Amino acid sequence: MQKNSPFLLLSAALILLILSFLLNVSLGSVSISPNEILSGIFTGDWTKASREQIIVNYRLPKALVAILAGIGLSISGLQMQTFFRNPLAGPFVLGISSGAGLGVAILMLAGSAFGLSTFGGAINPWAIAIAGTLGASLVLLTVSLVAWKVKDSMTLLIVGLMFGSAVSAIISVLSYFSGAEALKLFTMWSMGSLGGLVWDQVWILGLVIFIGIIPVIASIKSYNGMLLGESYAKSMGINPDRLRWLMILSTGLLAGSVTAFCGPIAFIGIAVPHLARMVWKTSDHRFLFPASALIGGSLLLLCDAVGQLPGSAQTLPINAVTSLVGAPIVISLVLRKNFSKEF
Amino acid sequence: MRKASIIGKKLSLGYTKGKVQREILHELSFELFSGEMTCLLGPNGVGKSTLVKAILGQLKPFEGEVLLNEKPISTYSNEDLAKQLSVVLTEPFLPANMTVGQLVAMGRIPHTGWTGKLEDRDRVAVQQALSATKIEYLQEDRISEISDGQRQKALIARALAQDGKVMVLDEPTAHLDLVNRYEIMHLLQEIAKTQGKSILVVTHDLEIALETADRFWLLNCGTPLISGLPEDLVISGEINQLLPGKKFHFSVEKGRIESKVQDLKFEISGPEDLAGWISKALEKAGINGLAGAIEVSREPFLIKYAGREFSKVEEFILAL
Repeated sequence: MQKNSPFLLLSAALILLILSFLLNVSLGSVSISPNEILSGIFTGDWTKASREQIIVNYRLPKALVAILAGIGLSISGLQMQTFFRNPLAGPFVLGISSGAGLGVAILMLAGSAFGLSTFGGAINPWAIAIAGTLGASLVLLTVSLVAWKVKDSMTLLIVGLMFGSAVSAIISVLSYFSGAEALKLFTMWSMGSLGGLVWDQVWILGLVIFIGIIPVIASIKSYNGMLLGESYAKSMGINPDRLRWLMILSTGLLAGSVTAFCGPIAFIGIAVPHLARMVWKTSDHRFLFPASALIGGSLLLLCDAVGQLPGSAQTLPINAVTSLVGAPIVISLVLRKNFSKEF
Repeated sequence: MRKASIIGKKLSLGYTKGKVQREILHELSFELFSGEMTCLLGPNGVGKSTLVKAILGQLKPFEGEVLLNEKPISTYSNEDLAKQLSVVLTEPFLPANMTVGQLVAMGRIPHTGWTGKLEDRDRVAVQQALSATKIEYLQEDRISEISDGQRQKALIARALAQDGKVMVLDEPTAHLDLVNRYEIMHLLQEIAKTQGKSILVVTHDLEIALETADRFWLLNCGTPLISGLPEDLVISGEINQLLPGKKFHFSVEKGRIESKVQDLKFEISGPEDLAGWISKALEKAGINGLAGAIEVSREPFLIKYAGREFSKVEEFILAL
């Protein structure tokens, strides 16, 4: 019994994910029963054409993006927390979200700030995703250069944080000089959004997340070894330098792509790994990685469902909802007596 | 026939800062024998950690080489080295969610496949390590909920489960109470003997090391490494190398370190062991000489001085 319980919990988390998915898809300005959705998806018979339109082209991609983003952010967060041995590390500590923000800010704000002809109100999501990816890659590349130079992981962490604030400062300068219209667009982006992606983009996001998870699977044992610190890890034949490269690559792909497509989504990456540790009561990454992925996906689906304000046409920005859910979690963690020990 | 599992040949060790090589240890040669617990002693900053890093293959010597099982340590891959060498470090931070059993199982990391799944032989090795350190009863307990001494044993068990020929421990008895210190060192000596391992312990605990170690390595600034039976080093006086300067020396008859200032003028009559403690107390109180003689008697304990009687050394000193 004791031995099976992690698997039992994983199955329970999978069921939670499926239920959250159904709930997420059925809620919205028109509520559609899960029965109808399931029969529609599996048989292709919809009671109304408009419902097919809503489900297939709007709600399904959004729900899938929520799952993918939840998985990507939670797994990046877990990697960062273990590698840096810091319970407050998250997917964005190496400046990835600021980098993506910079890319998008240049796209949306720079034109307006420098008085050039702007892209107008209609910036298509592809352009935003590409700008975000370029920005994130740029920061990641610079961080990698630093990682190549310095061998100390704490130095890398500090450099990453400093990079993040420097890039945020550039964004502030751009915002200061840009016009109201462009500023509003950028602010909307920075609040995060799971919707508005077309199927092609969902597939690409899925593919990138899949590729980003491969280095994680390849180094599960190394992450377990890192729990005892770099010196012990080395003595057990683990190569921390190799792990660092794999981690930068993996979090860059996971957190970078999610941020490029959905904007910066706060708290999921920090809070979910802690939730997984608390529920599974283990530090074994063979369970923590799948557990974080399942909880991350479910939590983001639920946050999105809350944000749709059931029964109304209004939606709250996803970043506001995750922060409202995430902040109490992080606060209650910090207030726990043995927080640093629980880690 | 004694077998050396680690041999150091004319090692020059140090660190490179920019383009300057700063040498800390010069032309060091040594042999670490299997079946023995060797204690490495020396003052702080003399280069013990540097030497240990070289033995673990984490520091490339400027000159000379370290041989592990007659092969240069630099030719081993990380994984192969991990199968030969295991360590216990002074790492204060351990994941609290882990149970002792899981911690010990981590020692099997170099032996398992990429997921780290334990096979039967791994489980056997973990059980053997737990029973060798006598902590089977702790297997399901979480690391945050056991005592410092038990945690140290768990870390030793982890190193044992790694199943190398050589184990290196960095101050395994720091922060432990007297009983635990003895227990840990006896345990290590027993493991070295029964399992034929080479165990190197870096320690500052001279008295306990004297009691338990099979061999001493004394490291001192600017001198070659002195290796020998602890008893031989005491008899030859070489143990005093640990105590440079003029203030302290190692007392051969008492087996402990004492202040050198010995021209104290007390006349104490009575049992010798009691007299020793009284002169110790007087010395600490800064009293160097007394005019009259002191008389001590046991059962009931009594100090007689200048016609007065005291039942405690403290009362006596206060009255002076």
